[in-house]
Amino acid sequence: MEIAEHVSALLTQKFGVAAAAVRPEVPLRQLRMDSLALEELRLLIEDRLRVDLEDVELTSRDTVGQLVAAVRDRVAA
Amino acid sequence: MSAAPGFAAAVTGLGLVTAAGVGVERAWREVTTATAPRGVVRPAELSGLSCDFFYAVDGAELDTDAVLGVAETRLMDRFSQLAVVAAREAVADAGLDPGVWDAGRVAVVIGSAHGGLPFYDAQQAALTEQGPRRVSPKLGALVPVNGAVSAVCRDLGARGPGLAVTTACSSGTDAIGTARTLLSAGLCDVAVAGGAESVCARLLIASACRLRALSTRRDDPAAACRPFDVDRDGFVIGEGAGLLVLERPEHARARGARVRARVLGYGATNDAYAPVAPDPEGTGVERALRAALADAGVSPSDIGHVNAHGTSTVVNDLVESSVLHRVLGDGPLVTSTKAMTGHTLGAAGGIETALTVLALERRLVPPTVNLDTLDPLVPVEVVAKAARPARLEYAVKTSLGFGGHNAALVLAGG
Repeated sequence: MEIAEHVSALLTQKFGVAAAAVRPEVPLRQLRMDSLALEELRLLIEDRLRVDLEDVELTSRDTVGQLVAAVRDRVAA
Repeated sequence: MSAAPGFAAAVTGLGLVTAAGVGVERAWREVTTATAPRGVVRPAELSGLSCDFFYAVDGAELDTDAVLGVAETRLMDRFSQLAVVAAREAVADAGLDPGVWDAGRVAVVIGSAHGGLPFYDAQQAALTEQGPRRVSPKLGALVPVNGAVSAVCRDLGARGPGLAVTTACSSGTDAIGTARTLLSAGLCDVAVAGGAESVCARLLIASACRLRALSTRRDDPAAACRPFDVDRDGFVIGEGAGLLVLERPEHARARGARVRARVLGYGATNDAYAPVAPDPEGTGVERALRAALADAGVSPSDIGHVNAHGTSTVVNDLVESSVLHRVLGDGPLVTSTKAMTGHTLGAAGGIETALTVLALERRLVPPTVNLDTLDPLVPVEVVAKAARPARLEYAVKTSLGFGGHNAALVLAGG
């Protein structure tokens, strides 16, 4: 499964986001992902992909695409 | 602050989520017709404990993820989820539309003893086993006792006073009394009030086992909670939520609401005696009951029914029934519905006040299930085996809580 698919699956299954709404250009806040939700998502991604996102800055202004890119950087690192 | 004496808060809606059934009609039918509880389960969380059984809400009757959606359930521990389900039912029953009501005049007052203990325990386990980096950021939002209030306010769009009331096992009753006071003082026109609890949590129940407060009837868990029975040996914890919609009487009248019952009086006291045991003379609960009667302006001889705290511990049932007899005499038909719902701790007063409203409305006193042989030291008439029809004008709800808390409500028919 591609990283984008993992992130999309977590957003839909754990946060109730509609699958069709998860597109690269959509800001996370538009998906009602506030700072609390993003910190929760950080842990879920870490557990799922066995990656350390501790010093990745996440804000709800970021888009889905930016989030996926940040995770991809860490997976590659 | 106290309500104006005799202030008659109108009960216009009820919501119940209990081990006896989800929804008011289902729960009432079960509580008034069943001869044994159906909600007693043996959860994995409790395996190996001397009390390893628990009254659970049937998952087949209530799938909270399906009803509320994961976007919402992730922001609530289970007690809050049960509260939201009960609140939706109560508000719909009252015929109120959250889309158009004056949201700033709607209060939410919910009692709970322990709040989000299951989530707290799970995060403690994460901390111990996986370290601080694996702890959820949601602890401070989900765990506190006000979590249910916050969840119900968000769900309904209720923007008036939101208060959690926490007085252990009398929380739900105190929440209703507090809501009546807010209504009387003019701080709101509508209040959603009662209790919610869900603590299938190994740490708390292990401790309650060590306290020897819980029944150890492991060979027959469905018969373990037997209030007022000579063979009772402790309470059995259950989960649930019971909420009422209360309104200022003129508010209910103006919108032509059906008034199902009225909350006429409230009394609350503390024993100032011991952290767990009730004052053996019951002076605290007696003062609460007398205060509620005086507040209501109702004579003790007018009380036809008491939905008692009746936990099925040796001491509670003796102390409480002695006080009921001392204050109310031989008249009232007493029952404890806990054999059907379990002891839902902070939710108990909410669930049982809702059942008291139904008893007044339908002129039917639910039986104390599992009561086979009345303890000869219990001096009141306890309805056992089958529901008893009765012309009821006034009824009482009593609650006692760890910490010496006592609360009593006086209700009248609509």
